Amino acid sequence: MNVIVKNILRILVLIFAQGLIFGQLPFGFGIHPMIYPLAIILLPFDTRPVWLLIIAFFIGLSVDVFMNTFGLHASSAVLIAFIRPAIFRRFAPRDDYDLLKEPTASEWGYAWFIKVSATMILIHHLWFFILEYFKFSAWKDIITSTILSSLISLIIFILLQVFFFKKPKSI
Amino acid sequence: MRKLIAFFRRFRVFLVFLILQVIALATYTSVMSFPRTKFLNTANAFVGQLLTWERNIIKYIYLDEENEKLQLKNIELENQLPHNYISIDQKTAIINDTIRLLSFERTNATVINSSHTFRNNYFTINSGTDRGIQRKMGVVSDNGVVGIVYDVSKHFAVVKSILTEDINISAYIEGINSFGIIKYNGEDPQIVNLTGISNDIDIKIGSEVKTRGSGGYFPQGISIGKIVSVEPIEGEPRWEIRVKLSQDMRSLRYVYVIKHIHQLELEELEKNIEQLQ
Repeated sequence: MNVIVKNILRILVLIFAQGLIFGQLPFGFGIHPMIYPLAIILLPFDTRPVWLLIIAFFIGLSVDVFMNTFGLHASSAVLIAFIRPAIFRRFAPRDDYDLLKEPTASEWGYAWFIKVSATMILIHHLWFFILEYFKFSAWKDIITSTILSSLISLIIFILLQVFFFKKPKSI
Repeated sequence: MRKLIAFFRRFRVFLVFLILQVIALATYTSVMSFPRTKFLNTANAFVGQLLTWERNIIKYIYLDEENEKLQLKNIELENQLPHNYISIDQKTAIINDTIRLLSFERTNATVINSSHTFRNNYFTINSGTDRGIQRKMGVVSDNGVVGIVYDVSKHFAVVKSILTEDINISAYIEGINSFGIIKYNGEDPQIVNLTGISNDIDIKIGSEVKTRGSGGYFPQGISIGKIVSVEPIEGEPRWEIRVKLSQDMRSLRYVYVIKHIHQLELEELEKNIEQLQ
């Protein structure tokens, strides 16, 4: 399948899954699992940074429409799209990335995937909850929400990787 | 000039980042309210339709519970029917109905999308301008107040739930009649705060809090909740009163939108208050 079509489909599926399923689950304890950052992580390695930002912005806006958050998700999505290249560089394998391969766990190993997605989820959720509470006095709520939601999101990311991004069988 | 272009080229990623971030935050903090109310919410036709489909799939899960509630309400209403009462003396028991004027109309609606875990919560209902719903109408459920309509489209409406920081519904405590304002502090979706009650007033735990009916959003005396704790605020002559909502916002499914027929009259009259002073 064409890389562009594949990515667009993936983004749409993740947005709908976020809006219709994961956004509706009542976890309690201030937990809000967010799975759409996975769409930003999985964009091809050679996506140009400006396009990365614009795509992330629209992903975030679409999620906002579902969740009635008016731009909160857009802001967080743009933030992680901005730092994605730096994080990828930080965790690059010794002989750098193969630009033709996708940034999935089956290609680069689960250790790599967990490191990258944990960092991005943590930054995303922290920014999200800081903006949402917007009070110094609520720092306890912000930290608990961030850590618990990040854990749940990370587990969902890994499960999605295990089930839907299997290594293509070599012929 | 060349230096300027070079500068933009060098920092273009950061500039795009800044622009997008500013747009997002401006819509979020309602500096830019046009995109916010026009298409950035679930009242838009496409998302509304999707959420209705989702709702149609999962609504059967709660059917039993809702049926029971309806039955109870029916019994309550049926008990009020005139043929259930026997009049002792025909002449003294005449009820003159024309003395009362219908002032509040209700429209039923179903919640198709809701949240309760955020600091500011909104929910979407499946009735819009085509059924006469407008901005700033009160929304109640069987049990009590749930919110105020925030934005409407043709078939859907977004309601600002009582779990929103600046909901500011004015309420009174039954039996004492002193009134204050309902606010939500974002901690527990079952608890809201009643602010502005002076601490020289004796307050009993367990007494009911009801709408005061000012502003014309709600009729007077609709239940909001029961007082669970009263604590003094340090340095202020006021109580901090915690009220447990009578409608559990986590299981909100069927609501009524309240239309105040004399809203316009009330607003016109109250507009003159400042000029009179």
